[in-house]
Amino acid sequence: MSVTRRAFLGGSAVAVGGLVVADKLRFLKPAAAAAATAEQAAGTASGGALSGAELVYRTGHSNNCDGACGHLVHVVDGRVTMVGPAPWGTKTVSGAPAPTFHPRVCLRGLSQISNTYSPDRVKYPYKRVGPRGSGQWQRISWDEATSLIAENFKRVQDKYGKTAVWVAPYTGSLALIEGVVGAGFRFASVIGASAGDSEGDNEGDSATPAGWNYVLVDPANPANGGGFFTGHESVDFLSAKAIVFWANNVAETSIPDWRIMLDARQQSGTQLISVDPRFTPTAAQSDMWLPIRPGADTALIDGVINYVIKNGLYDAPYIRAYTVGPYLVDPRTKKWLRAKEVIPGLSGKAADDYVVFDEADRRLKAAGDPTLGSAALFGRYGQAGLQAPTALQLLAEAVAPFTPERTSELTDVPASQVVALAQAWGTTKPLAVRAGFGLSHWYHGDLHMQALLTLQAITGNIGVHGGGVTTFAGGLTTTAFDLLHWWAPNGKPYTLLEPMNFCDAVEKGKPFPVRAAWFMVDNFAQQMSDRNRVVNAIKQLDFVVVSDYVLSATAELADVVLPACTYFEKTDLLSSNNFYLQYMPKVIEPLFESKSDLDAIRLVAEKMGVGQYFDKPPQEYLKEILHLGQKDADPTVRGLTWEQLTTEAVHLNTDPIPYVPFFNKQFPTKSGKIEFYVEMLVPFGQELAVHQEPIEASPTNPLFKKYPLVFLSTHTRFRTHSQYVNLPWLKEVNNGGNGFLEINPKDAAARGIANDDVVRVFNDRGQMKVRARLTEAIKPGVVNCYQGGWDTLKVKHYIEGHPNNLTHQIAKPAQALIPNFPSNAAYYDCLVQVERSEA
Amino acid sequence: MAAGTSTTPHHVMVIDTNRCVGCWTCAVGCKEVNNEPLGYWWNRVLTTAPNQSTSAKKPASENIDVPWGEYPNVEMSYLPVACQHCNDAPCVKVCPVQATFRRDDGTVLVDYERCIGCRYCIAACPYGVRVFNWGGGEYAPGGVVGYGKDYRTDGHLVFEPERPKGVVEKCTFCVERIDVGEQPFCVEVCPLGARVFGDLNDPASEVSQLVNEGGAVQLLAELGTEPNVYYVPTRRRVMTET
Repeated sequence: MSVTRRAFLGGSAVAVGGLVVADKLRFLKPAAAAAATAEQAAGTASGGALSGAELVYRTGHSNNCDGACGHLVHVVDGRVTMVGPAPWGTKTVSGAPAPTFHPRVCLRGLSQISNTYSPDRVKYPYKRVGPRGSGQWQRISWDEATSLIAENFKRVQDKYGKTAVWVAPYTGSLALIEGVVGAGFRFASVIGASAGDSEGDNEGDSATPAGWNYVLVDPANPANGGGFFTGHESVDFLSAKAIVFWANNVAETSIPDWRIMLDARQQSGTQLISVDPRFTPTAAQSDMWLPIRPGADTALIDGVINYVIKNGLYDAPYIRAYTVGPYLVDPRTKKWLRAKEVIPGLSGKAADDYVVFDEADRRLKAAGDPTLGSAALFGRYGQAGLQAPTALQLLAEAVAPFTPERTSELTDVPASQVVALAQAWGTTKPLAVRAGFGLSHWYHGDLHMQALLTLQAITGNIGVHGGGVTTFAGGLTTTAFDLLHWWAPNGKPYTLLEPMNFCDAVEKGKPFPVRAAWFMVDNFAQQMSDRNRVVNAIKQLDFVVVSDYVLSATAELADVVLPACTYFEKTDLLSSNNFYLQYMPKVIEPLFESKSDLDAIRLVAEKMGVGQYFDKPPQEYLKEILHLGQKDADPTVRGLTWEQLTTEAVHLNTDPIPYVPFFNKQFPTKSGKIEFYVEMLVPFGQELAVHQEPIEASPTNPLFKKYPLVFLSTHTRFRTHSQYVNLPWLKEVNNGGNGFLEINPKDAAARGIANDDVVRVFNDRGQMKVRARLTEAIKPGVVNCYQGGWDTLKVKHYIEGHPNNLTHQIAKPAQALIPNFPSNAAYYDCLVQVERSEA
Repeated sequence: MAAGTSTTPHHVMVIDTNRCVGCWTCAVGCKEVNNEPLGYWWNRVLTTAPNQSTSAKKPASENIDVPWGEYPNVEMSYLPVACQHCNDAPCVKVCPVQATFRRDDGTVLVDYERCIGCRYCIAACPYGVRVFNWGGGEYAPGGVVGYGKDYRTDGHLVFEPERPKGVVEKCTFCVERIDVGEQPFCVEVCPLGARVFGDLNDPASEVSQLVNEGGAVQLLAELGTEPNVYYVPTRRRVMTET
């Protein structure tokens, strides 16, 4: 066995004020085990005899998964021996009852032991001694590694400007100290560098958030911080009477959440509806499955909107109260008609108010006019030749072509199913939507979300329990954490450079040159779209550092590789995907010479003269981020104590519980209403959510003749992006660890492809080779290859390449309106051809 | 346990196929708690047509997650299979050395100190859930995981962290856990709540409800092996047309 056993404990392990109190530990044999605090373990980390005593810690699974499970980790003599599901706290920070939330774990979490002890771990710092990517390394000391980094970063910054160093801390971890909002941003800020996107996964997960902001948020208002994105707490789905899983394979990718949906069906007869081009485990257990043409999502939504309006199934009082539906639009400019333009004698705020038509006295009025009886929802109104339609009228006209028959032609969903979906949508309340990030992996992903919100607005399903459109939620989407001061302790934040702009920055110096990069918890060279271009750009850099716990495809391109810890080996806090605070104690000492990213950054920072920003242990930074014990702590965490935080997973003080965005119906838009008519999108012709064909993956694209198959690269339950790929247990149940391309037998037969044949998947951007898996689960004309498998020198999950050798980086200009979600990689908006190949 | 019933429980497990999504968490959990060597699975998850009876077109390939039927008229469900802990267990009958035995609570176990590795039991089991330890087993990196200690019941050695070469292994209902009032680990870890474990002698127990009123069925019931693992049949089938 290659693992060094390290014993934390002296002869006697004693439970003292445990991290998890004994009566909550359902797995423990009381005689054999003792609960422990992180401090206790850390304090006894040096040497000592093997005692055989078992310690159990509660931690959170931070490895970029929407499950965000709580784990009970069993440690014997400094070695992790078992992982199981952990209980959740029963109270909020302020002591109110928290929702009932089942302990949760899945096969990936259970496999974390072999991930931590994997022979693939990077054990020591290394420097490159051969050409980039040649796999020739020399082991070096941490001192030499951090000196090399500091010297090269200083050299690059002196020569090309401060922002020429790009720090990319990424979603490989969703915890606070490391990963998507982690210390990398703080480091970038204090050295004046640029940094990658922190608002979630810009590499494909930004389109639907942008669409969400079009409708629900005014991005220009500083109070909105450049845009945000949140959703309903998972247990809120218990309140839904119908749940639509739109491009969301919950039962495979966020497995424990599916239990909540099944509970809803069992308890309340909730209808489960799946919209997906693939027959997924989610579709298999749904009451209705709509096998949609990939990328035609907005067309189907438009078909539903049309049916709902035509059949009077909309929620008129809700539309009047909470949406811009009755507001008149100036037909000449397509902008909102303002009161001063049509109503004489108004002054002040009223003059700039929106205009409605009062059905009671048949007069035009300012929207805020106290004499307003009932605002007309449909029609055109005005004077002196000006006939201004209501926004809802414009919506009705825009979606009128989307009859069930026409919608069926566009979506491949039978017209009867379009009607069934629309009927369910119009008559079932509340109705919730779970929209997967797959919906975002399209050039028009923003439009898909805009359309879903439009439909949810006119049916009165936003800001209500059991409603909404949810893709991502959790503590990270709240104001609980003071990330701005965490990121910019000197008051000067890093310069944002989105991943989608990285190649331009390297190749063309636009918007500024980037000559060095530090990737942390980020397998950018494999997971970013248009991978061949990305790899080429990385190779052009003067200096590349990668921190990782395995030698990833990105690490293989580095000049210096730093051995990172797994989450068992460091202290952090997870509050993602649910509204609990999951303290993550260090449960074992870092293996080999690995260090947490915080410790690695500290060593470099000291050599760059900014060590003072990293001289505290992670616990102290967590206290600062939470304003723990301070009067100015955010209301969601006000009154939190360190003991509370480290004793159980405590629920945030959300309002309401379970959390529902906009429950008070105060929408942070310009109008204060849900803006399904989006004035700022008029220049883009997208003020209403009307279907547009995908930028690439459409039969209307001339390229379709050459590349007639839509190429999806979805998620599998057997890994989380590129984590958990090379672990023996998971490989055994996942095709021996060999990747495969799902292809319909019809498409296979037309190409002479039999099951398990090697095929070449290709387009103008690149190619990959992989074995074919024939399955009727996938729509003819569509192929799918699960993304994330490794393409490294040592591990070829696919025979050659990776799905991202085929994807592109075409960004949609309209998204730039939302500063926090300005660009998106449209992974699924991709065409390929497939042919039989030799291995 | 309800008052007035036998002091010996009758342990059964009920698996709701309406909740199983084929995620393999139970199987991986089993592998973890029992430290199963690489390549050995005491618990596996089969992809099936709902209720194993369908006139639909056979799957296009014999892999997990591949459905029956023709797109979009397809159907699929999952069937986790481990030892069925039969009341009339063929494996018990054929064992020449009484290594495989049945406890009064219904749990069928292997005494690793008696097993001679003849594998008659493997041949006799109609469910194909026993595995033979060929020795020299490789394990996942990280050393021994799971329960980590020997466990004996009535003197029989029924669990060792690393089983010796030449014995037959299988699901134990996590005897070391249920004997101290815990749930089998597959029940504990199932993210869907698809597995229920309990006492069939207690009419108020959830398993009794599911077996007596929920329509739970036994696998290959016609063989008369009387398994103590029950399955709630799949009620739903996806209809693409409504």
